Amino acid sequence: MISKGGKWLLFLYVAFLALLFLMCSTDLIIREPEREIYQIAVIIEDVRSDNYSNFRKGMDQAAMEFNVDVHLITLYEKSDVEQQMELMEREQQDGADALIVVPADEEQVAEKPMVVPVIFIQPGFMEKTGAGDIVIDYEQMGRRIANEMLGNMPTDASVWMLIDAAKQNGMDRRFLKGASDVFADAGCRTRVIERDEAAGFSLSAEANGRNEKVMLLAENAEILSEVSDMLSDNPAADGRFCGLYGRGNTVPILNDLDRGRISGICVTDDFSIGYLSVCLAVQTLEGKDNIPIMADFYYIEKENLREPEYEKLLFPIE
Amino acid sequence: MRRAKTWLTILLIACACMLASCQSVRKEEEKNSLRIGISLYRGDDTFINNLCSILEEKAKEYERENGIKVTLDIQDAKGSQNTQNNQVERFIALECDVLCINLVDRMDASVIIDRAMTAGVPVVFFNRQPVEEDMERWNQLYYVGVDAKETAVLQGQMVVDLYKEHPEAIDRNGDGVVSYVMLEGETSHQDSLIRTEWSVQTLKDGGVPIEKITGGIANWERSQASALMEQWLSEYPDTIELVISNNDDMALGAIDALERAQVSGVNIVGIDGTIPGLEALENGSLLGTVSANKEIYASAIVELAASCVLGETMPEEYPLIDGNYYWASQEILIHEN
Repeated sequence: MISKGGKWLLFLYVAFLALLFLMCSTDLIIREPEREIYQIAVIIEDVRSDNYSNFRKGMDQAAMEFNVDVHLITLYEKSDVEQQMELMEREQQDGADALIVVPADEEQVAEKPMVVPVIFIQPGFMEKTGAGDIVIDYEQMGRRIANEMLGNMPTDASVWMLIDAAKQNGMDRRFLKGASDVFADAGCRTRVIERDEAAGFSLSAEANGRNEKVMLLAENAEILSEVSDMLSDNPAADGRFCGLYGRGNTVPILNDLDRGRISGICVTDDFSIGYLSVCLAVQTLEGKDNIPIMADFYYIEKENLREPEYEKLLFPIE
Repeated sequence: MRRAKTWLTILLIACACMLASCQSVRKEEEKNSLRIGISLYRGDDTFINNLCSILEEKAKEYERENGIKVTLDIQDAKGSQNTQNNQVERFIALECDVLCINLVDRMDASVIIDRAMTAGVPVVFFNRQPVEEDMERWNQLYYVGVDAKETAVLQGQMVVDLYKEHPEAIDRNGDGVVSYVMLEGETSHQDSLIRTEWSVQTLKDGGVPIEKITGGIANWERSQASALMEQWLSEYPDTIELVISNNDDMALGAIDALERAQVSGVNIVGIDGTIPGLEALENGSLLGTVSANKEIYASAIVELAASCVLGETMPEEYPLIDGNYYWASQEILIHEN
């Protein structure tokens, strides 16, 4: 038989246990701070994400750290600005909290009115900015590589700039402009060789009957890879072409740089750009102000490819 | 009292109908988009890398053709089953509709299957086949791959056919025996063992007089194969006539070693038909390879993933064997002189 006092003690004990249970396992008494998972859509200007592998690694790293849900979207057609804007609209409607956009056409895309904040990876300083901007100055990059080419150029050599007019975007245009300005100032002979949709580049045919030495500059990573493959299959062309330069850091490009097929490349720190773009998006969503971030670029040749600084940059470990 | 009971029953039925209709509306809404979580055993594997690029293209094709938004979350497990298990957990937390998993350890699929079953998320395994006991645990588990025995038989047959047509092209020193070395993939991968066994068996059955000089495990990797081949070239100079490789990457490693040693006249056959493999085939450094139709392979993964989620039957062009397996077709590719 339990006394009256004992019953009270038992009651208090049970009540205490119930209170502990409520405190530990429910939100009734102590409310757990709810952490919102932001949905961030990244829309690039390319049809494939191969050129964005390091960018993606940086993006995924930031997604883990900031607990955000990031997904990368590619276009059906390379540099199709209309489609990119449609996708921006679609992602906004589908509930994305913020967008990160590598614009197919920086001017048109920046003009598009959006409700959600947009972080732009801009190919140069723009008048119209997004909620946050990471600026890669491709014009300066073009200037840098042109200066390096001039330093390695044999006398009486000319430069052929390899372009794909149908798929050219702002990055390509600015890169070429920077390079062209330097070559023009130096009084260097230049030619623009356009890629034929069906036949690709016919460099050997172009070079036939010419005695001059030629340096090649590719406007983007795809062209650099394509021309490098083409020249490696045609050793006879080696005598006429005295250097292949360009931008991009895909695995085939780095392999070709290592093998000496490519003479020099300009690269950006894509891992950091991917990481910072997500950081900017999160900061914007948390109501913080952003200032444009200027991304660095680097010129790399075979000789310095294995330097620890560049190894970390080109082969980042998540 | 009786009347009250009747009204209560009607009310309950009405509530149940409303709930059911809400559920079906939700399902209808879900059909407009599809989120697929993809985990790769190693993103730097050439075959997987090629396949993954095609997967992205096929997902976009599906999106265009069917008007269903397809979002792919692609993660690289970097050879760690633990990492892959965490990735699966994250995919489920992010409410992926279906998982496409290229297992790191085919013997260790149970954690992934447990998590997927609990969340009710179907799983399409590809390229690295889980053990049968695991596959039988749930009817929402599928596998897309190639028939390893068929691959090996095709690889062997390619050499048999060449030997019958031009024996001197295979038996380079004309001693009546084809001396070969074997480059094997991971021991834990089902395809490695089957490819090794059946390519050699096919050569024997086809009447090619073969003699194994040596063999080694290069774990599907070009660099490891290159190191092994370099060692064999110094141990057995002027002896090796044929290199049988379980995949193209290792075959390319053997080619690298031959180029370094400036040795020519060794025939090399691979498997996979990767982009670098096809380049080697074109320039003649690789004699031949067996290639799965990667377009169909990738399409099958996307179609199967979509049909699991949408509750549709798999299109006729992708017939499922035993209800859960799809085998992609393969072809022999030989260097044309």
